[in-house]
Amino acid sequence: MDALKPYQETKKAAEKKILIGGPLAVLAVALFLLVGLNSQVIQILAGIIFLAGVILIIIGSVAFSKMVRTFKTTFLKEKIGEWVENGVYEPNRGLALNEVYQCEFMRHADRFHAEDYIRGSLDGVQFEMCDIKLEERRVEHTKNGTRTYYVPFFTGQFYAVDFNKNFNGALQVLETERPRSKRPFKKIKMESVKFNKIYKTYTTNDHTAFYLITPQMMERMMKIEQDHPGNIGFAFIDNKMYLAIDNNRSLLEVQMFRPLDERRIEAFKDDFKLIQDVIHELKLNQNIFKEIA
Amino acid sequence: MNPFVIVLLVLLGLVLAIGLWYISTMNALRRLEVKVEEADSGIDVALTKRFDALSKLVGATKGYAKHEAELFEKVTKWRKGLPDQLSMEQKQEFQSRLNEVQSGINVAVENYPDLKADKVFINLQNSINEVEEHLQAARRLYNSNVSTINQRIVTFPTSIVAGMIALAKKEFFEADTEKRADVEVSF
Repeated sequence: MDALKPYQETKKAAEKKILIGGPLAVLAVALFLLVGLNSQVIQILAGIIFLAGVILIIIGSVAFSKMVRTFKTTFLKEKIGEWVENGVYEPNRGLALNEVYQCEFMRHADRFHAEDYIRGSLDGVQFEMCDIKLEERRVEHTKNGTRTYYVPFFTGQFYAVDFNKNFNGALQVLETERPRSKRPFKKIKMESVKFNKIYKTYTTNDHTAFYLITPQMMERMMKIEQDHPGNIGFAFIDNKMYLAIDNNRSLLEVQMFRPLDERRIEAFKDDFKLIQDVIHELKLNQNIFKEIA
Repeated sequence: MNPFVIVLLVLLGLVLAIGLWYISTMNALRRLEVKVEEADSGIDVALTKRFDALSKLVGATKGYAKHEAELFEKVTKWRKGLPDQLSMEQKQEFQSRLNEVQSGINVAVENYPDLKADKVFINLQNSINEVEEHLQAARRLYNSNVSTINQRIVTFPTSIVAGMIALAKKEFFEADTEKRADVEVSF
């Protein structure tokens, strides 16, 4: 793929700098510790080598980050436009936190980060998605003072999909327990023992749960859970289906020292498999779920 | 303490515990019974909606499916809708009749592509399909509640309380699967 070549070359050059800079810095530290403790000349020499190594690492990292930014805003943007109907890709932004909370099963976060926002439609079904990371603040009191740090409790993807079916109340199908909320959700059991073992169903209206989750839908939801590792949660609220998967991964990421080739691009395309599976398996592309013009 | 008093206190404690257990079990069973009744009325609502939707469809297809229109008039025992206090068996029968009319109309309109493409007809079919989905949801919810209460009624020791308050096993609303397949609307 010719279009990839400039990125591959820039990536290679950046990695080369890091590959040289890293060992140089290590060498400088080794030199300082092994023979430089008693010699000022060696100490200065080790310092210069260390500085050179660090500078090379910084230059390489900056070049790599710049390449990733350009790659995402040009190459990937174009590709996503091909993969997704009316696809819009904005790598530096994501859905807002209040949009994420619309699903009503996400715990409140002390720190939130979202990126790789994608909007478009698949088989005529509108969706929005992005990578999200939610963290909670922990405070540790020690003899030396107070330490504040953040622990991630959700790292994965969040999707908001159009679901144009009229129903009363709200429904959540989750692999984990749900947090408390103002809306009076209650836990119910569906007919399938297997489904109840995998998912916990919460609803504000029993009839709505049985209306939306048909036996076929249960089978398909179980298949989605089987095919996609991670904790999955579905919410059906106000003509939207929200889907969140906590899989500890980030989509569309270019990694250092990993080839950026056609296989990697195919892997990026596979990142849309979950949303495709959800739309196809849950048959959201059928007219009954689409908005009637 | 006097051993007689101890025995008396233990006995009193036992009676109190049994009494509390009886009350809580009875309340739990009553709550389940209410849930079954609510689900039962959900079926009534869905059946009535289905009857209304089918009446409209029969009206719209009178010229094409005369036989079905007549069938709807004659066969549907409750022409003005669903009367109160029907047994589950009667409700199932009512649903079967509606299914018969619906599947008859589906077959009859096969020969009229113009009608099938008509917007009013399509909307009616869509609304019937939606009503049918609600009916199935109501049926599943009812059966799920019936299954829960029936399990409690036959399981010891809850069965003792159920017997004491004369709570009998509830009747399931059986799905007429063959007929149900007929009325499914393809998209």
